[in-house]
Amino acid sequence: MWHQPWTYKEGIAVAAGLIVVGLLLQFCVGSINWDLVEWPVNIIMLCCYVATLATAFSLRKKSYVIRWCMSYNAAVPALLISGIATVGYGITCIRETLSFWPFVLLYVWLTTIAGLSCIKLIAERRSLGAILCHAGFFLAVTCATLGSADMQKLRMQISSDSPEWRALDDAGNIHELDIALELNHFTIDEYPPKLVVIDNATGKALPQGKSESIVLEDSVTEGQLLDYQIKVSHVYDYAAQVSSPDSVNYVAWAYNGATSAALVEVSKNGKSPIAVGWVSNGSYMFPYKALRLSANHSLVMPERDPKRYVSNVNVYTKSGIKKEGVEIEVNKPLKIEGWNIYQLSYDERMGRWSSTSVVELVNDPWLPAVYVGIYMLLAGAVVMFFTINHKRKQQ
Amino acid sequence: MITWSDFIYFALPSVLLWIGGALASFRQRRALALGFSAIGLVVFSAFIALLWTSLERPPLRTMGETRLWYSAFLSLAGIVIYSRWRYRWVLSFSTVLSIVFICVNIFKPEIHNKTLMPALQSPWFAPHVIIYMFCYALFGVATLIAIYTLVKRGTLEAADNMVYVGLSMMTVAMLFGALWAKEAWGHYWAWDPKETWAAATWLLYLSYIHQRLARPKQTRIAAWLLIVCFCCLQMCWWGINYLPTAQGNSVHTYNIN
Repeated sequence: MWHQPWTYKEGIAVAAGLIVVGLLLQFCVGSINWDLVEWPVNIIMLCCYVATLATAFSLRKKSYVIRWCMSYNAAVPALLISGIATVGYGITCIRETLSFWPFVLLYVWLTTIAGLSCIKLIAERRSLGAILCHAGFFLAVTCATLGSADMQKLRMQISSDSPEWRALDDAGNIHELDIALELNHFTIDEYPPKLVVIDNATGKALPQGKSESIVLEDSVTEGQLLDYQIKVSHVYDYAAQVSSPDSVNYVAWAYNGATSAALVEVSKNGKSPIAVGWVSNGSYMFPYKALRLSANHSLVMPERDPKRYVSNVNVYTKSGIKKEGVEIEVNKPLKIEGWNIYQLSYDERMGRWSSTSVVELVNDPWLPAVYVGIYMLLAGAVVMFFTINHKRKQQ
Repeated sequence: MITWSDFIYFALPSVLLWIGGALASFRQRRALALGFSAIGLVVFSAFIALLWTSLERPPLRTMGETRLWYSAFLSLAGIVIYSRWRYRWVLSFSTVLSIVFICVNIFKPEIHNKTLMPALQSPWFAPHVIIYMFCYALFGVATLIAIYTLVKRGTLEAADNMVYVGLSMMTVAMLFGALWAKEAWGHYWAWDPKETWAAATWLLYLSYIHQRLARPKQTRIAAWLLIVCFCCLQMCWWGINYLPTAQGNSVHTYNIN
């Protein structure tokens, strides 16, 4: 080993060495604190890194090591061992991937090879697909990692009482922002209620493992669960429970705290009904109501599945922008003054009648750079896809 | 209204047609082989299309639904590869794999729920999963070629083609996922268990491609590497559902009822 020409062995040795050094660093200095590379430290680091790579490339004729770094003999072990290390992460499922030294060193090694190879590919005017892939990977990984120090991620609880301009970070510190939000109203659109038969002892839906349900859509008036025939005579999306000493009844009632309810008649083998009564999924105001079918089975209405969470808000900024009645929903964040605002949560005790909403505000100034990298990699993959046959034929 | 109970009426004719196509390809009856396979695919796709309309959402959420696409894409990949490179064995490979997944869907169906949670209601949803399923299908065929190579000492040329195409598609699907994650969860990459395994799989397939470029004659090592890559892919696709450390940790779990 270490006699020229260097092969995979040296590549494996370098990667293994980096893991050992990384472990030592992890034990000696602890996890990496990326906050230390906040702007402008990160941009200086990136410039130095790129300059080092360019200098190294210019010295390639003098140094065998640099030529080796740009070869498959370095790339294959680096990719393989990074892959295996990532599998290790996958098995242990530790979330703090980016602060674990061995992992970061391996990725730096991989990015260095990608960066150098990219310069080489450009200098040798090689295929566009390969250049785009290497450059895109380099840009996306370096900018995402160095830029993570500048990312702000805050939570804000908003209500209709007054505009809110303070938000909390993960550590619970309060931040005052140049942007304020006021909740007009929060809504949850739900799928229609369902009916399910459960096992009285375990509470599990039946048949176990592949439970069946009747979805109470407009047109549905009857259905079958296990060997029970179920006739649905009334369905209320919004109802209130009215109790008398000997019975429980439901009436249509579309106000805060309403629940869903259905009046059903259950029979078995086409004979006369074995149970008649109301089933309801309950709300913060009314308890749920099940219908007992036998010693083992009950008919219940599970909580309705959410279809859409929407916060209708007014937005005010210090720079004088005022937007009223803007909707923030899952998959449709609001973008304003560098902030992306996401629907995150609500008062779960109140369910769809929640009067508060929790939004997440994310500001990532490095996002455009990362996106350039991602789009270059995307373009590279597409170019590769269309040039594969052509290239392989030439070979 | 079509439901999963009608699946067998579409699956059985498709399987018979695909078997017919595979047999015809062995007998060098090219037109017949392509015709049978294509009609089988049309019948199978009809079920997907009808299920889509009856569920009122793309059938891409549960494992059972993704297996449906996987079977269809295996067949499509088989047809494309056969018509392009004329490997006689490829249609039988794709047919056997498709049948395995169809049988799983018939004998061990998963929860077939109609609802689609808000996080999945996005234009990114369909391309992200469909492209992934297509590349999984290609990698499945590539793995079978690798096993064949190890047993019969053949070449990996066909597997290389499939990995090239598959890896390009995997890259696209993964990056679509990243762009979608930014819209839905606020960050493009969060090292969620599924994302970690996706990254590992991507790196391992990249190492395969670089290995093939570096040492094209080392077929056996490359074939083993391809099998390892595919195992990693299986972990990423469904294995993590059974991984204790990933339980309740992943935002990619949509199977829970």
